[in-house]
Amino acid sequence: MAARRFTLAVPVDLALAAGVVVVAVVAALASSVLQPFDAPEVDPRPILLPLYLFRSLARLLVAYTLAALLALATGHLAARSRLARRMILPTLDVLQSVPILGFFPAAVAVFIGIFGKSALGVEAAAVFLIFTSMFWNLAFGVYESLITIPEDVRMAADQFGLRGPLRWSRLLLPAAIPTFLYNSILSWSNGWYFLIASEIIAVGKAHYTLPGLGSYLGEAITMGRTDQMVLALLTLIATTVAMHLLVWSPLETWAERFHIDESGARPRTPRIMRWLRRSRIARWVLNKVIVPASQHLLIAVARVMDRAGRLGAPGFVAFAMVVLTAVGYGAYREYLLLVSRPLSEEARQIPASLALSFFRVGVGVIVAALLSVPLAYLTFRRARVRLATLSLLEILGSVPAVAFFPLIAVLMLRLGFDMDTGAILLVLTGTFFYVMFNVLSGATAVPKEMNEAAASLGLTGVRYLRRVFVPAILPSLVTGCVTAWGGGWNAIIFAEYVVAAGKTYSVQGIGATLDHATYVTGDMQVVTLSLLTMVVLVVLVNRIFWDPLYQHVASRYKLET
Amino acid sequence: MAAPTPHLDPTRDVLVRVEEVEQFYHGRIRILGPLCLEIRENEFLSIVGPSGSGKSTLLRMIAGVLVPTRGTIWLGPKRLHGVNRGAAMVFQSFALFPWLTVLDNVGIGLEAQGQGPRERAAKAEKYIELVGLRGYERAYPKELSRGMKQLVGVARALAVEPELLCMDEPFSALDVLTARTLRELVLELWANPEVMTKSILLVTHSVEEAVTLSDRVVVLKANPGRVADTLDLHHLARPRRADAPAVRETVDRIYGLLA
Repeated sequence: MAARRFTLAVPVDLALAAGVVVVAVVAALASSVLQPFDAPEVDPRPILLPLYLFRSLARLLVAYTLAALLALATGHLAARSRLARRMILPTLDVLQSVPILGFFPAAVAVFIGIFGKSALGVEAAAVFLIFTSMFWNLAFGVYESLITIPEDVRMAADQFGLRGPLRWSRLLLPAAIPTFLYNSILSWSNGWYFLIASEIIAVGKAHYTLPGLGSYLGEAITMGRTDQMVLALLTLIATTVAMHLLVWSPLETWAERFHIDESGARPRTPRIMRWLRRSRIARWVLNKVIVPASQHLLIAVARVMDRAGRLGAPGFVAFAMVVLTAVGYGAYREYLLLVSRPLSEEARQIPASLALSFFRVGVGVIVAALLSVPLAYLTFRRARVRLATLSLLEILGSVPAVAFFPLIAVLMLRLGFDMDTGAILLVLTGTFFYVMFNVLSGATAVPKEMNEAAASLGLTGVRYLRRVFVPAILPSLVTGCVTAWGGGWNAIIFAEYVVAAGKTYSVQGIGATLDHATYVTGDMQVVTLSLLTMVVLVVLVNRIFWDPLYQHVASRYKLET
Repeated sequence: MAAPTPHLDPTRDVLVRVEEVEQFYHGRIRILGPLCLEIRENEFLSIVGPSGSGKSTLLRMIAGVLVPTRGTIWLGPKRLHGVNRGAAMVFQSFALFPWLTVLDNVGIGLEAQGQGPRERAAKAEKYIELVGLRGYERAYPKELSRGMKQLVGVARALAVEPELLCMDEPFSALDVLTARTLRELVLELWANPEVMTKSILLVTHSVEEAVTLSDRVVVLKANPGRVADTLDLHHLARPRRADAPAVRETVDRIYGLLA
């Protein structure tokens, strides 16, 4: 037994060591030809790809750290103070339902106003843009998991005197962890999606390029360099898949113990992790480095959160004031100048464009729903198929579809679709995963007893679908559609205006208007007006359609837990 | 089973005195009180009553996790402010921390007191052993049966060595047989000189349970919650059997009060 383990362990250790050496060599090579920081163009040599990847990962990591800490503080504040809750929840609700991608030009103008046209300003703008794609769902998740801590558990914590950092490390953080992890995965995939857009930044006629995977890909697409494009896409896919297998899956297994309710399927340790565990080096790294490091991290976060929590509502208001002042200052220096002048011809076209985009996003959501329900039904009945589908979808979902838009668009046009259909198909890539994930998780959450009852009563086939399956997943379906509705508006910004191999393919719509104004004319007036009308429309539809629909469905179909 | 010695002296020290407490819902609807009661040293006091009589509310006020709208709770000469450090709670729903092992759950109150890891592990192990869960220190609550979970809940409460153990329907979520075993265990632990707990406050809707366990029973009526009567059961010999005539008679008397 011992001998067998030994023979298996050696190759794994060797492979790991070799991997470390390769990464080190490539990194050394890459940094020896490191470009100056504010390089206007992307150096296309493939040897630089690992460097670009690291730069992009660093941006994502900085943005994620900021988003995570702020989300914990904000969510906790909203859960604790009624005053803060009244301010925070509506703000979060509006901001998360708004297509953030559209805010890029405006936000960049503000940041450059604050920091000047230095590398720091552009870098900060990029990090901020990624941050905005990561923050909202995290904050909401923290709030929801904190308010759903069972009364008795909270009372036990009070009663046994859990206060200060200990309360964070023993009660609040553990209770938040499962939802936080779930949202972190979502945030990272949003982050990748936005990274592609945030490394090439345009304000007015000025363009800034930050070295990174996103800009490399963008440059390759614009120049029509298929080889570089494929290389960059492969790097992107490999990275997201690796993160899924090496970071998220193990974390999901670990987070299982933090679930308060005891139902639900246990995630399985991915094969690659089981394989890695055979290695002594990997085990050593896990037990001597990763585990203690994460314990220290948890305690450090608990301390930071406790400090932040002590500032309470006044601290929050002060923080909000500082942010607002900075934004106002930045806007005054750079942004207002670009907006204030009489309405242009392009600006008058906005209502019509908005209507067209509304139609595309609507179709995108409906088609996603129509596809997801039967697909979920087909996969959910067999545990094996379901697990495989879930893994596949998770991987597919974490690869930013937007990176593939030019490829998809060109392919579709070759196949004889026009750009009108093409735009809808692109929107669909932004809506489908949201609906599918939600429906699948809803299907998994149907209690076993209910299915057993249905089976013993002889409910099968269409009757089962109509009486059990569809009603049971309805709340998740609606949640998925609401999220997809938001995702669709983000996708539309890229879907209506695709640049590939030096050519621009576009259809009339608010996304195209926004892109054209951002990248070609630099017309901040059109940018601002498109954005405002879009936000108003999205929020309005949420208020008069999705919210009431969800309330109705949740009150009738939500399964008691 | 070692029976606790009956204490017949009514003048002995009062541990907790509840004075004219009232609880309102939304500031308007009276759900409890005004109400007075005493918990004496070395007694087992039960509060029985139908749902809506505010018995759990009362227990939470005494444990200091709920502030009464009006009235005062005295701990000896001192008013209770905030959490009652001399009390520890046992919950109907166990309220264990699912992310902590049995050892860490039992040691959580000691950790909150700032005791070091070695010290609290030693103490937690002692109480885990006392409730008979030795060998399960590294298990997570999820891996335990309901009865074992409640044993963890009891050990967690005893580990902080409270003067008063506040148990809120501790046996209601358990099957009949497990509940009986746990009731006996609680009496045993109470009699055990190694356990520091002086008095036990039990909230229950089971009249039989209250009568077989308690020195005194406070009977509450509902809407709003108020004391219907207090019965002194010191004269009933221990160990008590549910089918003993004196026990049956007392149970019937309490049912009469509640009707």
